Amino acid sequence: MLTHQWPNAENPSRVFMLGGGGFLGRAVRAALDAAGIPSVAPLRSELDLGADDAGERVAAMLQPTDSVLMLAAVTPDKGRGLAPFMQNLKMAAAACAAMQKVRPAHVVYLSSDAVYPASAARITEETCTQPPDLYGMMHLAREVMFKTEVQAPLALLRPTLIFGAADPHNSYGPNRLRRMARKDGRITLFGQGEEMRDHILIDDVVALIRLALCHRSTGTLNVATGQSISYADLARKIAAQFERPIEIAGTPRQNLVTHRHFDVVALHKAFPSFTFTSLDAGLARAHREMLEQA
Amino acid sequence: MSRPTIGFAGLTHLGIVSGAAAAAREFPVVAFDVDPARVADLAAGKLPIVEPGLPELVQQHRERLSFTSAPADLRACAVVYVAPDVPVDESGASDLEPIRELIQRVAGHLAPDATLVILSQVPPGFTRALGRGPARTFYQVETLVFGRAVERALEPERFIVGCADPSAALPGPLAGYLEAFGCPILRMRYESAELAKISINTCLVASITAANTLAELCEQIGADWSEIVPALRLDRRIGSHAYLTPGLGIGGGNLERDLATICRLADQHGTDAGVVRAWIANSAHRRDWALAQIHERVVARVKEPVLAVLGLAYKENTASTRNSPALALLAALGPFAVRAWDPVVSAAPEFHPRLTGAASALDACVGADALIVMTPWPEFRELRPDAVASRLRGRVVIDPNGILDGPAFRAAGLEYARLGQPLRGATG
Repeated sequence: MLTHQWPNAENPSRVFMLGGGGFLGRAVRAALDAAGIPSVAPLRSELDLGADDAGERVAAMLQPTDSVLMLAAVTPDKGRGLAPFMQNLKMAAAACAAMQKVRPAHVVYLSSDAVYPASAARITEETCTQPPDLYGMMHLAREVMFKTEVQAPLALLRPTLIFGAADPHNSYGPNRLRRMARKDGRITLFGQGEEMRDHILIDDVVALIRLALCHRSTGTLNVATGQSISYADLARKIAAQFERPIEIAGTPRQNLVTHRHFDVVALHKAFPSFTFTSLDAGLARAHREMLEQA
Repeated sequence: MSRPTIGFAGLTHLGIVSGAAAAAREFPVVAFDVDPARVADLAAGKLPIVEPGLPELVQQHRERLSFTSAPADLRACAVVYVAPDVPVDESGASDLEPIRELIQRVAGHLAPDATLVILSQVPPGFTRALGRGPARTFYQVETLVFGRAVERALEPERFIVGCADPSAALPGPLAGYLEAFGCPILRMRYESAELAKISINTCLVASITAANTLAELCEQIGADWSEIVPALRLDRRIGSHAYLTPGLGIGGGNLERDLATICRLADQHGTDAGVVRAWIANSAHRRDWALAQIHERVVARVKEPVLAVLGLAYKENTASTRNSPALALLAALGPFAVRAWDPVVSAAPEFHPRLTGAASALDACVGADALIVMTPWPEFRELRPDAVASRLRGRVVIDPNGILDGPAFRAAGLEYARLGQPLRGATG
């Protein structure tokens, strides 16, 4: 769970973003701008975290009063296996090296619920971490790196599946289902879509990141809504947003059914006034934005 | 034949109730505490605890009760019980230093042939490690239940006595005292008796956790735990007195203390306590049930909610707030306005920064978006749905323990939720 160094929210003097050019980073930066919170987010062309001198270059840009937001990662849609695993660790090592030279005021690391075992159906922050793959292991290793190598207040945020119209990732979730429906008039599910999952709108993730920054929070928090839905029901909700009929088709099941539910009491305790966007409202917004982008 | 004088050292809940019960069995009692102010209050009839029937019991047998802060007065006793409540920290670990100090202080004033009995909650190994004369040192299991302490002290189910040598007869005065209660007396070695106390609580926790686990499932699948419980009670393997009522965790402190002791001993000796840790985790999970309901039903819908909380004590018929689910809830309701009422616990500012003490249960409901009944005080049963509905601003009633008449509250147009009942159907 999180504890707050600033019980009453205050704007950090500056947020130094690593990975600020991605889907989530751009949304966070827009929110910080809107709130009048200064931020810097070096572009990949300005700062390659995978470069050998990345640590020194970050250190040169970093100020001790900065709150560091680490979003940079090679995500599974860009590749799986050892190469991206090592690349991600190298990026985190560069960030650690920089923060060892210039200790920031606060660090927020966006981890992932991939640190939990695939078989864990009910997740809390107390659930033992046991990543089923290298992607989850990478996030867990990075968490440990930041905890042990950086002497600054640290918040670890572990989001569930994030969705939003601008999300370029195409993992199995609302984004892919919506794109399938739009392109093919058909949503294809694994099995009959029995798996229960928790999907969170990007706006809510951004709001929670901002809260963690403004409270200078420390500790670990799962970023999830606490409301899980089966892929079959999710597909029906998405299909209902299209004017034309959308076919929902199952496929022969290849893997065992697993479910994931989050107990979000720790989030309620950390941010009592925070309220989630309902899934229906979130899906409607993502659908609307998709049409606007067309 | 005159009855031996029985001493009680350490006048907290256990010592006061046990001393009063001894007096009720017509034994002269010397009740000792190191705190002169506490002794003066007790001598004046001012009880520092709330326990149904205790004021009357003390008053009725006052002539046999001698309160003192002078340890030398214990020299008149044939049997001296050392009975202070053992403090525990947040992790459930016992602080045994105060009881060790008290034993040392008392032991120096005992008559040569007096028997010392440890009645407090101590871990296995404690009594033998004292190194006192084995023939005059015993451990006795206490089974105090807050709110029912008098009944259980006067009519115990059995006495469990830990001895250095279980095959040896108990000293005459101790045997005579225990036999006066007319229940079985089970002698066993110290360690067995000390673990027996923990074993009792462990079995209770197992039942409570089973009830809580299944009640949560009921909430999700459309079953009603209250319909299932009578069927379980009629099963002889489970029994009519089984702890099957779901609750907000296991609560109270003593159960957590014993679970912590099991985990500590298991870790020390390499035995498996995985299930005990699962019980602890489940308790923490269920403790937050009301908070989760508030967020789902109120915070998600109302911008700046006002919440009415009934009950602050950890359970009915006690003033104790240690491990109170109500106070745990208040601690998680940071920014919201709260109106609270409890029959014996005053709404203190340290409980919550925006807490207002109400004048009555109904007064707490005035202008609130939700009513949350956190302690099942019997008097809350008298609350009429129409009276509550007319005072609430919102429609939500969260009654984990089912102290209110749920169907009547639903009929009054209120959205009523309790543990173990389908939550989807509760949405009005």
